Amino acid sequence: MAGAAGAQQQQQQQQQRVACQVFPERRAQGGSGQGLLSSVFSNDQGCQRLLLKTLETNPYVKLLLDAMKHSGCAVNKERHFSCEDCNGNVSGGFDASTSQIVLCQNNIRNQAHMNRVVTHELVHAFDHCRAHVNWFTDVRHLACSEVRAANLSGDCSLVNEIFRLHFGLKRHHQTCVRDRAILSILAVRNISKEVAQKAVDEVFESCFNDQEPFGRIPHNKTYARYAHRDFQNRDRYYSNI
Amino acid sequence: MADAGGWRPPRPCEAYRAEWTLCRSAGHLLHHYYVHGERPACEQWRRDLASCREWEERRSAEAQRSLCESERARVQATRKHALVWTLRQSPPADWHLPLPQEEKDQ
Repeated sequence: MAGAAGAQQQQQQQQQRVACQVFPERRAQGGSGQGLLSSVFSNDQGCQRLLLKTLETNPYVKLLLDAMKHSGCAVNKERHFSCEDCNGNVSGGFDASTSQIVLCQNNIRNQAHMNRVVTHELVHAFDHCRAHVNWFTDVRHLACSEVRAANLSGDCSLVNEIFRLHFGLKRHHQTCVRDRAILSILAVRNISKEVAQKAVDEVFESCFNDQEPFGRIPHNKTYARYAHRDFQNRDRYYSNI
Repeated sequence: MADAGGWRPPRPCEAYRAEWTLCRSAGHLLHHYYVHGERPACEQWRRDLASCREWEERRSAEAQRSLCESERARVQATRKHALVWTLRQSPPADWHLPLPQEEKDQ
């Protein structure tokens, strides 16, 4: 069993190295690594401003924050968020080893984009909080969380897909969720597209239909507000059915 | 289900009305087709709204039964797929701990 544990540890270290290439400011053991001088001259202040507005006003995020608090993972802006410069065109990530959401300040374009990235990463954080997710050792678990994040964050809204020049209507949302989940997996794991695709296929049915904490796919802020209203009403709901 | 003495509809009646209105909107038709490739079914929200109002006005036992049955079916529908992972009994132990770098600084 020592051999198995050793192999697992080696695989975990290899996956963390891939992640470090995307998020170069993260050292292997975590930490944002951003000094005082660099934050003055970087996009950090813009990123912090956009983040604060998202946390205070966005209905998707407010529901996720509430749900996480209810699960024992109250979110603290200074502790659980970090604005950093990232390689490639990744917008953000969730670092399970430090329980921190990384926001790629050099790639987040505007308030709407920040809203979507924070929602996406909070879905991962919410999964980490409520379940034993083997982020580094089970690609099916990673695939499941990526399917959920693509499904629930607005990543695959009709408007966003049209902006990407992906034209499709009937059931196109599901195609988008599959494709974006695969892309997200490949961005942080050194595996083939076929392995990523197989993992997504295996978990899709279950994870696409797991819409916690929203209870529905929030297509826009109205749906997110209704979902938040339902979450706040849950005690009355479950005690009367 | 709580006894009739303490029971009330799982949602306020305005919530059923709001869901029925949203369900029948053009926007929702588009969203639902985009996700599922078919038209949404909104009739159950209308029935639930009617049951809710009937209970409010007449404390109808049939309305109570109908509402409970409808909401239980909704809950069942969300639970029919087995989860990929095991749920936690308590949150991750290190969620609130300081970052490793902060620990070294202290």
